[in-house]
Amino acid sequence: MKFYDVTDLAIRNLRESGFRNSLTTIGISVGVASLVAMLSLGIGLQQLASRRLQKSGLFDTVVATSRRDLRNFREQRDDGPPPAESPALDEPARRKIEQLPGAVEAYPDIRFVTEMRFDDKPHLTMVAGVPFSAKNNNDAFDGMQGSFFSSETGPEVILQKSFAEELLGIRSKPGADDTNIAELAKPLLGKELTMRYAERTASPSSTGLSDGAAYSVVSRQQALKIVGVTDLDPDSMRGTARARVFLPLKLAQDLHVMQSGLRDASPSSAPTYTSISVRVGNPNQVPAVEDAIKKMGFSAFSLVDATRSMRQFFAVLDGFLAIFGSLALAVASIGIVNTLVMAILERRREIGIMKALGASDADVRGLFFAEAGAMGLVGGAVGVTLGWAIGRLINFGTNIYLERQNFPPAQIWSVPLWLVLSAIAFSIVVSLLSGLYPAARAARLDPVQALRYE
Amino acid sequence: MEIPWPNSLVVHTENVYRHYQMGEALVRAVDGISIDIRAGEFVALLGASGSGKSSLLNLVAGLDRPTSGAVIVYGNNLAALSREQLAKYRLHTVGMVFQSFNLIPSMSLLENVELPMRFAEVDRRERSTLARQSLERVGLIGRLSHRPMELSGGEQQRASLARALINRPKLLLADEPTGNLDSRTGTEIMELIRSFNQSLGMTVLMVTHEQALAEKYAGRMMHLADGRLVDDVPNDDKPNISSVEAPAPRGEIQ
Repeated sequence: MKFYDVTDLAIRNLRESGFRNSLTTIGISVGVASLVAMLSLGIGLQQLASRRLQKSGLFDTVVATSRRDLRNFREQRDDGPPPAESPALDEPARRKIEQLPGAVEAYPDIRFVTEMRFDDKPHLTMVAGVPFSAKNNNDAFDGMQGSFFSSETGPEVILQKSFAEELLGIRSKPGADDTNIAELAKPLLGKELTMRYAERTASPSSTGLSDGAAYSVVSRQQALKIVGVTDLDPDSMRGTARARVFLPLKLAQDLHVMQSGLRDASPSSAPTYTSISVRVGNPNQVPAVEDAIKKMGFSAFSLVDATRSMRQFFAVLDGFLAIFGSLALAVASIGIVNTLVMAILERRREIGIMKALGASDADVRGLFFAEAGAMGLVGGAVGVTLGWAIGRLINFGTNIYLERQNFPPAQIWSVPLWLVLSAIAFSIVVSLLSGLYPAARAARLDPVQALRYE
Repeated sequence: MEIPWPNSLVVHTENVYRHYQMGEALVRAVDGISIDIRAGEFVALLGASGSGKSSLLNLVAGLDRPTSGAVIVYGNNLAALSREQLAKYRLHTVGMVFQSFNLIPSMSLLENVELPMRFAEVDRRERSTLARQSLERVGLIGRLSHRPMELSGGEQQRASLARALINRPKLLLADEPTGNLDSRTGTEIMELIRSFNQSLGMTVLMVTHEQALAEKYAGRMMHLADGRLVDDVPNDDKPNISSVEAPAPRGEIQ
């Protein structure tokens, strides 16, 4: 039989005993719904967790440091060249790293502790340079009040929430997360902040010397305009660790602020960096980039292992949720077997007639298969919708709870397209498997016996 | 199995047996029957119930397989065909009508008549045209969308005749086609079968227990008792068109 005829006859047969087939299909729907609800919850929780980690750059950042900085330590790792032969982590090295396959950008980490004056009151804090590209690819600045830096070297700052509170003299209770950034930002945006810092200048007397601390320090100050207030996690990676004031990276470089750290002891005509953060396009490429940087003679580290174990945890969680979700589908598949075996008994004569008229075993088998498949398709589609609705409901309920507990609402539930499609496909496959036995049984039916049957 | 086959021979059985177990007892439904049926013949299979006439018909129809012996139709030994080939044979070579009509209750008349063409994978549009023609031939053109239950027994049997004709078989097998009908509608049905036999040149093998019916329409009468052929007589009143050269059946079995 042609495909059209098989489906046509199958749908006709399903309609003929509509009530029973509807019940069976509802059974499948409930099974698929539980599967989808469980998995969407698992996926949602995973996304919630990885979103937080993504913000911190755990997934896609490799930090490269020069081994020279380690010279004061006994070299314990034996991979790569000894620290003394390690190349300098300078601008050419940064460019080379940036060109590694998989690397999107590489920027130096600039971080220093300095004094900020606001309303003539000094505030000591950690300042960090932020690459201009963070505007688009660092989610941390998404929820920011105000705007991002207007240019790569604009004399502007973005304040971390806790520093904004400090400037305004607000004492936040530790752990409390209830201050509104919008209200913090209002009195601060557009105001001026004066940064007092130590500029490191190459000392003219030191030119020609190959070694030694031949530079001088000049005290300077720079006026900066507050353009934004962010609730960026102060513990985040990407070289902005624990900083509470952010400058455009280029500006920070141009100011030649003296940074703490061993690096400052090295010759200074060509600037070298404490560390370089490398943003990798795809978290999967992190290990490869890490290896490549190590081959260049630098130290490299990423937290991909930490994220791997987290992903492992979620894979196991998803697995468990899927198994529990599938149990309902397994019960539903027994329903399909039952319904189709009943249908064979009921339509025994009809099968006999079809065979007498020339239907082959394959025709009859195909018909029962199509019926099972159609129930799977409809059950799958209805089930996905149902599961989606259940997930929404759970999400809604959870958010009401979170709100009462003074937590921000969260999306703990997610139904990606692949889940929709694979749930329907899974439902069809399970239904077809359930149809195997009934279909084979119907196909083997002896027409003479079947026609005698009244 | 290809056998040297005279053109005019349609059905040939050779010492065919069909035995089956029914509880403890061995039922000899067909017990060594050899018959020949020629193209264009109208043969009645007569006998009391349980004489084996329906069992023999089922063997010729390819619905059942003999325990031993050969059933050869148009040169094909049905016993040697696979299930698939047998289904093809039923689809293209024979048309069947039954005592209880065996129309599918959930389908309209038109759909019932179209059904064998679905198995034959005939195009949808062509199917509808042929089914209408066939229903017109049996006088049911006004009842296309009716379901079988909405029709009289005679109309149902006419529809089942239309269905039997649809794949243009060369051999019509009828199992008590008038058994459920009153004599007037029974006569209508028999007239239709006769017209198929005479105007379409279809070979007819009909099972009946009504001697009178057989005498009126059949050109040849075979009497069965206890699974054996006890009598095989031409009906002298009826001219047999056995002289008609039988063309090869439309559907090929292989």
